[in-house]
Amino acid sequence: MIELKDLTKRYSNLVAVNNLNLMIPKGEIFGFIGPNGAGKTTTINMIGGILAPTSGSVMICGINMESYPEKAKSKIGFIPERPYLYEKLTGMEFLKFIADLYGVGDDIFLIKSREKLKMFFLSDWSDDLIESYSHGMKQRLVMAAALVHDPEVIIVDEPMVGLDPLAIKMVKNLFQRLAKKGATIFMSTHTLKVAEDICDRIGIIHKGSLIATGTPEDLKRNINEIDADLEQVFIRLTEE
Amino acid sequence: MKDIITLLKPRFYSFKGKGFLKNNKGGLFKLLLFGTIGLLFWGGIFAVSLRVLGYFKEIAELGDILAYKLLSMVLLTFFFLLVFSSILTSLSKLYLSRDLPLVHSMPVPSYKVFIARWIESTVDSSWMVIVYTLPVFISYGIIYQTGPLFYFNILMTLLSLSIIASGISAILVITAVNFLPANRIRSIFIFFGLCFFLVLFFTFRFLRPERLVDPEAFATVLVYLKALKTPAPPYLPSTWAFDSMKALLYGNITEGMFQFALSWSFSGVMVFMVIIIAEAIYFKGLSKTRTVQARLFNYRSPNSFFLKSLSRPVRAFTVKEVKTFFRDQTQWSQLFLIAALVVIYVYNFNVLPIEKAPIKTVYFQNLLSFLNMGLAGFVLTAVTARFAYPAVSTEKEGFWLVKSVPIPLKKYLWIKFFIYFLPLLILTEILIVATNILLKVTPFMMGLSITNILFMVPGVVAMGIGFGAAYPDFKLENPAQTVTSFGGLLFMMVCAGYIGAIIVIEAGPVYNLFMAGIKETGLSAFEWIWTIGSFVIVFIINILAIVLPMRFGERKLSKLLI
Repeated sequence: MIELKDLTKRYSNLVAVNNLNLMIPKGEIFGFIGPNGAGKTTTINMIGGILAPTSGSVMICGINMESYPEKAKSKIGFIPERPYLYEKLTGMEFLKFIADLYGVGDDIFLIKSREKLKMFFLSDWSDDLIESYSHGMKQRLVMAAALVHDPEVIIVDEPMVGLDPLAIKMVKNLFQRLAKKGATIFMSTHTLKVAEDICDRIGIIHKGSLIATGTPEDLKRNINEIDADLEQVFIRLTEE
Repeated sequence: MKDIITLLKPRFYSFKGKGFLKNNKGGLFKLLLFGTIGLLFWGGIFAVSLRVLGYFKEIAELGDILAYKLLSMVLLTFFFLLVFSSILTSLSKLYLSRDLPLVHSMPVPSYKVFIARWIESTVDSSWMVIVYTLPVFISYGIIYQTGPLFYFNILMTLLSLSIIASGISAILVITAVNFLPANRIRSIFIFFGLCFFLVLFFTFRFLRPERLVDPEAFATVLVYLKALKTPAPPYLPSTWAFDSMKALLYGNITEGMFQFALSWSFSGVMVFMVIIIAEAIYFKGLSKTRTVQARLFNYRSPNSFFLKSLSRPVRAFTVKEVKTFFRDQTQWSQLFLIAALVVIYVYNFNVLPIEKAPIKTVYFQNLLSFLNMGLAGFVLTAVTARFAYPAVSTEKEGFWLVKSVPIPLKKYLWIKFFIYFLPLLILTEILIVATNILLKVTPFMMGLSITNILFMVPGVVAMGIGFGAAYPDFKLENPAQTVTSFGGLLFMMVCAGYIGAIIVIEAGPVYNLFMAGIKETGLSAFEWIWTIGSFVIVFIINILAIVLPMRFGERKLSKLLI
């Protein structure tokens, strides 16, 4: 479960995120969309504990990120937009590195790592250095690493960038499966089709403020066009 | 030509865009600080050169020979330095830069990309060597009262030598990249690192500079003069530069211009050869470096008892740090240099003419040993600056991982501290113990040195990690370069102050204790208070040197926006 209360982030004179209030219950996939520079990545970084908010709070499964950052982070699987990794480690070593940091036991790690590598089509590359991976492979490895400790909350920034159609389909199915098992997923994306397909609710952020939230149908009703697709809703709500 | 100039433009723009002077107080401060240090260094070289040459000039007959021998040695060293510096720069510019895919995707022939990169590499690798050897050559002009032609000749000859050195390096690099096996680029770094060490070592040994200042080492004056007059190999470009300068110093313009023309004609030949070879094989080699490396062996994880005994987060970071370091072969040349540094450092103590010193030997040996603690501390600072200071920056843009995992920054920094503490402690203790054995110091001095270093190393390493965390740069292609930043400079200045303070505070009490031991007398009550007080102060400084920088680094790093 994720709860954002009056979340605000200022950079000097710029208000990147303005007074954001959100409550995402257990088992929900929440899509976060908005134009470039709207504040999506800043919000995601604050939820992931990478960035401290100027004011407001982030609660992960009832744990305050500011007061208990390590406890809160241990519940999260974080997948950033650009997968910068340790290029000199192999895929398997990277998973082990992450698993150790999240306190995953050796026996469980062996099972989990093989399972995730297989799931993300990386088994054949697990002993190769990450520097030899393609962008898509790195993206898949980050996802595998984020899931190795069975997180209760998954924070993901642009999950489909760099993935091939097969991997996109797999990730979509995976997220739906994880949500059914009780994981809360907060996903920022520019791929509106993906958001429409798998998200239970969608939030639209514009110039740092949340301008609309609801199911895709709610949003369509918002603009009084029940036949419109999400792209049209997005354009109508964010155009000047 | 237009394409080449266009390809060079981003470099000019980025230099222009640094905005040192407008709206950038930090940049201005840095410029002023580095500028002043650079100027002082330049002035120092100039003053020493003038003094040495002036002294040589006063010695009838022999003075000129010594001056010319020195000129020949400087030019030879200059040439080899340029070759090595160019090898590293051209390897990076031609094959490793991140913007290469972008540049090669443009509709420009690859040989033009090569030429643009080669020009950049030549300038980058030679400007500093030229600037800092100029005062030596200018001193020759002043002492030998030459005309403006000599100064013009210096500039043009050094330029020609730079082109030749850069050409040789480029040919070596583009050929090596085409012929070395699968993990080629990294192997090249190791290979050239080792070559550099060997070249430097052998050049130095062949020159045998120590014999030149010690005529007693030669059987007769005749042998000594013969050794001095031994001409440099005529096929070396540095010899043409030397002959040209020497002829102009004598006022022989025809001979000077002939050698000058020889040097420049060879530069021209080098330029054509480099372009022809590059056109044939540069792109082929580049393509090889861009393909996925063959899987030569499986990377197995170490499963030692030591690692298993560590807690999971500590183990994770330790394994990651160690593997990342040793798999990045660009680091290996640095290890070779450290090995060379240790050997040279210890060797210097071995050849110290202690018996010839005007001070009593036992006293002198122990004085040297005491000062050696400071010297070893400075060596430790330099090594820490190279390895521990960039430790946080080496996370590069993967730092998001550190921020996102459930490990407090404080713990993360302490893990980094311990990873570097142990090897640096061993290195510094080796330096101290080996040199103390060579100096044949008293057991008291040996014990004091070992203990002092044991307390000093954590302080210096903590400062390295702390300041490195406070002023990280995750964008740099080579994180080792962070040490030239404001934070790096601050780290070195604070370290110098810290080591200096410890040596100064301990000097008095150590002298009293040492003399009491020699004279077999006791210390007075005042001396006891002074001694205990000094050591307590040193202990407190050591503790503060560990705690404060780590806290400072943690505080600044936690506020950092990524």
